[in-house]
Amino acid sequence: MTVFLSSLGFGLISAAVLAIATVGFTMQFAVTNVLNLAYGSVMINSAFVTYFLNYHAHLNAWVAMIGGVFTGAAASYLLNRFVFTPFQRRNLPPITIVIVALGVDLCGTFGLQAIIGGSYFTYRQSQGRESHFWGMYLSTLQLIIIGICLVVMGLIHWLLKYTRLGKAMRATSANPSLARNSGVRTQRVISSTWLISGALCGLAGTVFAMNTGVFYATSAQLYIVLLLAAMFLGGPGSVYGAMLGAITIGVATELSAGYFNPQYKEVIAFVVLLGMLTFRPFGLFGSEKTI
Amino acid sequence: MSAISFYVATIIVYGAVDSMACLALNVQFGFAGLSNFGFIIFQAGGAYAAAVLSMGPWQKSNGGFQQYVLGWHLAWPLPWIGAALFGGLLALPFVFLVGKRLRGDFAAVGLLVSAVLLNQLVNNFVPLFNGAAGVSIVPAPFSHYWNPQGLGYQFAYGGVAVVLCVGVYFLLRRVTESPWGRSLRAMRDNDIVADALGKNVRVQRTSVLILGGMIAGLSGAILVGFINLWAPGAWGYAETIVLFAAIIVGGAGNHKGAVLGALLVPLGFEEITRFIPPLSNPALVPALEWVAIGLLIIGFLWFRPDGILPERRRILSGSAKSPPDSSSTESDSLINLGNLEHMDFRQLLRLEGDASDHSIILSTDRLTRAFHGVSVVSDVSIEIQRGRLTGLIGPNGAGKSTTLAMLAGTLAPTSGKVLYEGRDITSMPSNVRAKAGMIRTFQLASEFKKLTVLENLVSAIPRQSGDSFVGALRGRRFWGRDDAQNIERASEMLEGFGLSQYADSYAGGLSGGQRRLVEIMRALLAQPTILLLDEPMAGVHPNLAHKIGDQLTRLVASGMTIVMVEHELAIMDAFCDPVIVLAEGRVLAEGTMAELRAKKEVVEAYLVG
Amino acid sequence: MSVELSTSGKVLRASAVSAGYDGRAIVNDIDIEATPGKVVSVVGPNGSGKSTLLKSLVGVVPVLGGAVTVGDTDITNLAPERIAMLGVGYVPQIDDVFPPLSVKENLEIGGYLLARDDVAPRIDAVLEFFPRLKTMMSRKAGKLSGGERKMLAMGRVLMLSPSVLVLDEPTANLAPLVATQLLEEYIRGFADHGSTVLLVEQRAKAALRISDWTCVLSGGRVVLSGEPSDLENNPLFVESFLGGGAKA
Repeated sequence: MTVFLSSLGFGLISAAVLAIATVGFTMQFAVTNVLNLAYGSVMINSAFVTYFLNYHAHLNAWVAMIGGVFTGAAASYLLNRFVFTPFQRRNLPPITIVIVALGVDLCGTFGLQAIIGGSYFTYRQSQGRESHFWGMYLSTLQLIIIGICLVVMGLIHWLLKYTRLGKAMRATSANPSLARNSGVRTQRVISSTWLISGALCGLAGTVFAMNTGVFYATSAQLYIVLLLAAMFLGGPGSVYGAMLGAITIGVATELSAGYFNPQYKEVIAFVVLLGMLTFRPFGLFGSEKTI
Repeated sequence: MSAISFYVATIIVYGAVDSMACLALNVQFGFAGLSNFGFIIFQAGGAYAAAVLSMGPWQKSNGGFQQYVLGWHLAWPLPWIGAALFGGLLALPFVFLVGKRLRGDFAAVGLLVSAVLLNQLVNNFVPLFNGAAGVSIVPAPFSHYWNPQGLGYQFAYGGVAVVLCVGVYFLLRRVTESPWGRSLRAMRDNDIVADALGKNVRVQRTSVLILGGMIAGLSGAILVGFINLWAPGAWGYAETIVLFAAIIVGGAGNHKGAVLGALLVPLGFEEITRFIPPLSNPALVPALEWVAIGLLIIGFLWFRPDGILPERRRILSGSAKSPPDSSSTESDSLINLGNLEHMDFRQLLRLEGDASDHSIILSTDRLTRAFHGVSVVSDVSIEIQRGRLTGLIGPNGAGKSTTLAMLAGTLAPTSGKVLYEGRDITSMPSNVRAKAGMIRTFQLASEFKKLTVLENLVSAIPRQSGDSFVGALRGRRFWGRDDAQNIERASEMLEGFGLSQYADSYAGGLSGGQRRLVEIMRALLAQPTILLLDEPMAGVHPNLAHKIGDQLTRLVASGMTIVMVEHELAIMDAFCDPVIVLAEGRVLAEGTMAELRAKKEVVEAYLVG
Repeated sequence: MSVELSTSGKVLRASAVSAGYDGRAIVNDIDIEATPGKVVSVVGPNGSGKSTLLKSLVGVVPVLGGAVTVGDTDITNLAPERIAMLGVGYVPQIDDVFPPLSVKENLEIGGYLLARDDVAPRIDAVLEFFPRLKTMMSRKAGKLSGGERKMLAMGRVLMLSPSVLVLDEPTANLAPLVATQLLEEYIRGFADHGSTVLLVEQRAKAALRISDWTCVLSGGRVVLSGEPSDLENNPLFVESFLGGGAKA
């Protein structure tokens, strides 16, 4: 039982970071139909901007995080504007855009590495006390991250369900032509989506780095696998599916680390992803029509 | 001086290995349309296999400091053969990922993820291949008799590597320039249509994966025999991206392009960085290499997606003239099918059987298809007679195309049966039905765009001796005569339809009417017993449509059976008898157009609804 | 039907319009004019280009030649959202709702261009037209039946108080009684209230009954046009649908 509970605790923080990241990723897919494999590089670059503000400008890490969020938003917007949209106008097969995204990922990740070198970095912030409740061990830092995640998920839910822009986003992803005929300026909606999802990406990168403790330029390269697993589990393009997928994958990986071997904890994410792609690429709750 | 010589030998080996890998990946990606983002798995597998086959049992070797499986201490060339076999074997689990109708980018991502997963597993599970440390002190071939450190040895090694690479080049060229290679490219351009013409897409993809896997495995063996070590750090998923960059730069779909790309990107890049003086930040140069590769990918895909050496046009007609690659729609009205009048369809299309036989050849029993609870086709029971041109008409949404798709096998019914010549074929897949003589055409453009018109036509001809992997391996001497005859037949057909001047033009550039004709010719060359045409006249100039209709009637008089879904009711009038009317997913009436016009419910269905 | 749903209509005019995808014209040289208070219908056999014509008027399919105007404004090849801003409401034949959104949200998107405070009263007004929808406000549009879906599609377009209504086969897949009601009560009603209505219909006879003017399209061109009473008695009319001579 103690193994279960303490793993569950780690699972929650894992899920929290993953949820923020996956929701952003799936929003980009929903509205642009592109698997943005450069997402990881935007995450890590945002994390590094936060670090820079934290370490060199001596800002509190939480304040510096705002810089990371802005970086993510701006980088994602520019990526869509200057890379994905022009390529998509050329009516190429989807695989070409994926390869382009990989190219961008290389530039982004290793461009950062060229600047900062191969060494490790860590934020100047305290972990806080370790709290022990219900069998789970979580530091103050982690509790704050979980809190941020809950707030952000709430905000996204509010955005999608109660705001004009959010409904326009959902309409654009469901039927862009009809949305335009209803007066929705889909170009603007898409740009806004990339800004918002980019902000999520930047936030995810920062809290990822905070939670990992030490990070380097290539830390997020493999994170994309967990992201994809969470997204495909909940259904590509579905925001609520992404939240559910992230909780499942986050908790499952930590449970498997607790019960089996921590070295193989990501294996379960891989297996889930390959299973979903083979049997139900539209997600557990989706249907063939959605893709 | 000797340092340079050693360096040259190293370059030769790396060049050969990289070229081999790129050639293999190019066949998968450039020719067959398989985005194998997990390619590195196969090369790594081969390297490990060669290593553990040539090393002795780990407990007794080198003080037992590294763990690994096997350790059979086999002499060359057995480890290399084992590596190739293992590479091919590794392909099998991935067949499920590429065999299904999964979106190309999703499947590619699945392969990428598999590469990452396997790398992690090997990295962490030490007993397999010694985990993160990898295997080292891998014996070089013949190291007992010949000092591997010597220059002579290294050049000899390089020579062997180059010979093998050249062998792979010719082998792959033999495979891709065969009728089977043509089928691969057709599958790449449009896998659904290739399937409807009888190609077994799943087998083709599996074969290509295995073939590529074996060559990748061999390349890994060659590499490990030279550098004598292999660890997970050497084969991250990023290595696959480098190979993709090489192919994109060199030219996908072109063997020489693959080699060129291999020499420029993985080899050229690596070697250039050697000559850059050491900088204060040692991580800078490798990092910039990756940035450069990323920029190369984006740059080439934007400015020159075909690469430096684009895919070659295959001239089947033997003509030396430069073929026209585009034509306007106006020419459609000028197309003259006159030559067809002189052609004997029975001979041209190998029609057999009695042309006056009008027995039932195809029938359905209460065929139903529903999407999410909404019935699109309900309880449709129809009978198609031999030697007749049956029309299938009805207002929009009546279920005509859905019914046709179920007849052809491209869509599975929710319930009900399809019977062909008495046999229940409801669960028979579409490519098998095609081989049995049921050939369908599609409503939307379905030509193989990057194949020439002649290639489009020839690809449809069934039972080609060169249209199998084994047949391709046996080379031109085996399938050459057969292929020449097929090209002859296709050219005859092309001439009959008055389109000979486009024989070597890329099908994708023709006008709408011309592409429609190519599709019909292609369907005819597939030797159908029964033709299922889905709106063949859509978007075709009325003059041309009439001419096509005339020829279809002649076809039917020669013994062919045709079922045609069509909107142009004037065509129905002139050519079709009988005509089946569908409305709201059910059969409403059947008869000649004259009879149907007299039926109140038919007129209502069309005019009132 | 006492609720003011439409503002006074504008004239929608297509002059010598040719339109199609990828530079290939599917319809050629079409002249059509729809005026306020009148229903103009476009009928014709399948494949004649009726849908393509409508789509080219509302910015979904490129116009290759000729001009399209609404009132005094030239809307040829204008972006669909700008055309919507001019008060042109379009209901496509398929993909006519947002399936993952609820009925209420579909209507809200319909009212995207309205001021925030105008949306709720507008929804109430539209619901007066389609009371059945009142019980389904939170149901997802993808789960509605055919008839309900069409009602929602029409409700969505009405949110804008369109001065011009462009409808592509509004009665497709509807049961005959529902179809008749839709055409004779609602669509005719919109015109009677002052809107301009242009519709494509498969059910040619039903369309004739509610139209002030009808064009018959065949092979991408207008082959016949006139007042319904003239067309009904014209033997060419049936011929253009069923081909050959109509034998009664």
